[in-house]
Amino acid sequence: MVKVQLNDVEKRYGPTVALAPTNLSVTEGEFLTLLGPSGSGKTTLLNIVSGMTEPTGGEVWIDGVDVTNVPSAKRGLGMVFQSYALMPHMTIFQNIAFPLQIRGLPREEIRRKVEDVLELVQLPHVAGRKPKELSGGQQQRIALARCIVYDPSIILMDEPLGALDKKLREQMQLEIKRLQVQLGITMLYVTHDQEEAMTMSDRIILMNNGSAEQIGTPNELYFQPNSSFVADFIGQSNLLDATVAGEDRVRLVNGEIITVRHDAPLSHGQSVKVLLRPEVLHLREIDAGGNRLDATIRGSVISGSTVKHFLELDGGTSVLVEELSNGTNAAPAPGDRVTISWSVGQARVLPA
Amino acid sequence: MSADPQANRLLKGAAFAVLAFLVLPSLIVVPISFGDTHEMVFPPPSLSLDLYRQYFGDPQWLAATWLSVRVAIWTTLISLLLGIPAAYGLVRGRFPGKRLVAMFLLSPIMVPSVVIALGLYIYFVRIGLSHGELRLVLGLTVVTMPFVIVTATAGLQNVDPNLEKAATVMGAGPFTVLFRVTLPLLKPAIVGGSLFAFLMSFDEVVIAWFITRAGYETLPIKMFSSIQWEISPVLAAVSSLLMLFSVVVCVLVVVTRRNEPQQ
Amino acid sequence: MTQRRFKTAYFVIPAVVFMIAVYALPLAGVALQSVTDADGGSWSLAGYRDIFSSTLFYKVAWSTFTISLLSTTVSLSLAFPLAYFLSKQRPKVRAVLMIFVLVPFWTSVLVKAFAFTILLGQSGIINDALAFFGLGPLPLLFNKAGVIVGMSHFLIPFMVFPILTSLMAQPPELRRAASIMGAGRLRIFFRITLPLCLPGIMTGTLLVLILSLGFFVVPALLGGRQDMMLSNLVDFYTRETLNWQAASTLAVILFSFAMIVAYTLARVPGGSSLLGGQDR
Repeated sequence: MVKVQLNDVEKRYGPTVALAPTNLSVTEGEFLTLLGPSGSGKTTLLNIVSGMTEPTGGEVWIDGVDVTNVPSAKRGLGMVFQSYALMPHMTIFQNIAFPLQIRGLPREEIRRKVEDVLELVQLPHVAGRKPKELSGGQQQRIALARCIVYDPSIILMDEPLGALDKKLREQMQLEIKRLQVQLGITMLYVTHDQEEAMTMSDRIILMNNGSAEQIGTPNELYFQPNSSFVADFIGQSNLLDATVAGEDRVRLVNGEIITVRHDAPLSHGQSVKVLLRPEVLHLREIDAGGNRLDATIRGSVISGSTVKHFLELDGGTSVLVEELSNGTNAAPAPGDRVTISWSVGQARVLPA
Repeated sequence: MSADPQANRLLKGAAFAVLAFLVLPSLIVVPISFGDTHEMVFPPPSLSLDLYRQYFGDPQWLAATWLSVRVAIWTTLISLLLGIPAAYGLVRGRFPGKRLVAMFLLSPIMVPSVVIALGLYIYFVRIGLSHGELRLVLGLTVVTMPFVIVTATAGLQNVDPNLEKAATVMGAGPFTVLFRVTLPLLKPAIVGGSLFAFLMSFDEVVIAWFITRAGYETLPIKMFSSIQWEISPVLAAVSSLLMLFSVVVCVLVVVTRRNEPQQ
Repeated sequence: MTQRRFKTAYFVIPAVVFMIAVYALPLAGVALQSVTDADGGSWSLAGYRDIFSSTLFYKVAWSTFTISLLSTTVSLSLAFPLAYFLSKQRPKVRAVLMIFVLVPFWTSVLVKAFAFTILLGQSGIINDALAFFGLGPLPLLFNKAGVIVGMSHFLIPFMVFPILTSLMAQPPELRRAASIMGAGRLRIFFRITLPLCLPGIMTGTLLVLILSLGFFVVPALLGGRQDMMLSNLVDFYTRETLNWQAASTLAVILFSFAMIVAYTLARVPGGSSLLGGQDR
């Protein structure tokens, strides 16, 4: 069942387009992430759903009702803010009880629901405290609990983990995902962190310059990006300039010809980009049907589980190669000549 | 930084001298207020409460005091009632000419009191407003309201607008947001602003001096004419009480600031 | 949101209506009065002609400027060391010492004026003390000296706040970095501390100048006849001679002076956000 449906919503400020006409549907129980750099329109899109920004065109439907002209308070949504927006003058209990009081629930039911939800977020003992007495991660869970408790039709989260440190952020990602799956929450989530989006989402909308660049599962975005922006934003990538030199073949700027995979038909002489993920490249020659390039090592760093090699192809293009570190093979020294290679089909052609 | 004890001592000496200049002159009235009713001598040869008895026994001084209290209460209430919504509109609203409106509402801070005072004096005569107390309340609100707006604006800027948004998304109507979220968070600013507005109105001389009518002598006006013409020793008692009042207000403000929720 | 934001703007309406009715209209009335003939209702610049040809006006304007500039200078030279000292204290000590700035700030100007008449008078405490050493008496009251002492006392807190704020806003690392690079304390003060707090000094100076121009109570109570300032002259024309046109003309001139300084103040970074003042 579709929970949220956006039909051609757009937002302009005078001549500035904050959001180009966008269509989108979120289905029940889905975790959908709006991912993109700042200024890409993801927060505008979220605010249009929440009713805090009025679209200049298009319609917003929630639970089969056109809510385009319905104020925030009447849309039946939940929202978690980056600053958590817990009321500093209320205790944790009062904070969570607040939306229930607005809905006029009887006192006893409120108490029971608040206790249940505190149990659910594993903070049953903090009811009497003030928000500032809790750690960032705990406040985050309370903010989520305050949404869960009144069972909104969708929960919106705006960079909810942005204020936490890396370790806690990773822990909270799994925690939020667990609750979302367990309770079947429909979630619309905004982040600029691609790893976070990959970890948590069922689907990702990658936003760029006020429009959706690509919509798909994390897998699709990573392995089948449809533009160099997507390839560059999601994960690490080498994007090499090339021209089409025949069926399945492109010529790199240094004249080398390599075999590629592609979805759209290519016309001879067309400028393209070739995507090579650093982890598909190997420093030694493998049986790859001729996909190999000569290069010079410029430097190597070990980042724990992987080793990154910075190389320069003949002709001057920089390339990053990432391999699992095993601690035994001697690292090549700067200036060493190497051959990089990859399996056929790992190189993707993207429009330039 | 390399410490230079001599320069440090010099700075410390200068700073304490200035502090002494700020504090001591006014304090001189306290011992005098416990002195004689006929003559002001420092230090007073004998201590008594005669001057305080004189003040509390003089219907004119008491009438002036009560008038000032009443006017200050009304002034404070009107300033809060108009000033807090205005601050809310200025902080949270977005409309053309906002800067201009803010400048206009705060400008009485910068305009010399005597200009406002003369304006009100002529204006009240022209429109035939003869109610003495109403004149004072309206006139003094002009100078206290900008102050309430400044305080409330500062307070509102410390209230995360996301708190109001969060309440709205959870389904709270505008009144629930106002009374359950915004006003409780603004409480320290409101308390501080109203204490200071009260004190300002209570102490105001220039505007009151121009617009008041015969029989409506506020405490500052009575003090002003009293210092100008006779310098009665009872002034020492009145001044001491006023200073005590200022200290109490300052302490109250400091205490309410301390309980302010951290955001 | 735009629509709802716009509705939020309606909250300013009551205050604006009030201030138009009780503040803008009276001020406009003063401007109008200054160009209206004293007896008739006809337009006339006679008020300005009269004022600009009156020796009394020039005398009072001159003493207003000299007293204002002197008080501002005295306030700055006393407030700066205090602010600098306060900025170097630990937060707790500073909080305690600030009480001694705040309480005078909130003490009625009449209490201060009264205290100074006791202190500075012919048989006041200071002259009594001097007489004890066989000195004096010094003329301290009902002259310029009295006015400047009283005004500076009133104005110092207004000078301390902005200077202290800008001193406190300076990251201490800057001074530490300069020190590590080998700069001596004088060089640090003149090359780092002072330049960085210039906006605070400017703000304080201009604010204090605006306040001084409009002083009324202190010159009336601590000054002599010849130390009248523009505010007192407005009062004189209003009450003694009942010449509304002259009073209004003067008020317009005083207003213009204050606005020129205020305009300059608005150009100073951070100068437009200011504390309100009391009456003076």
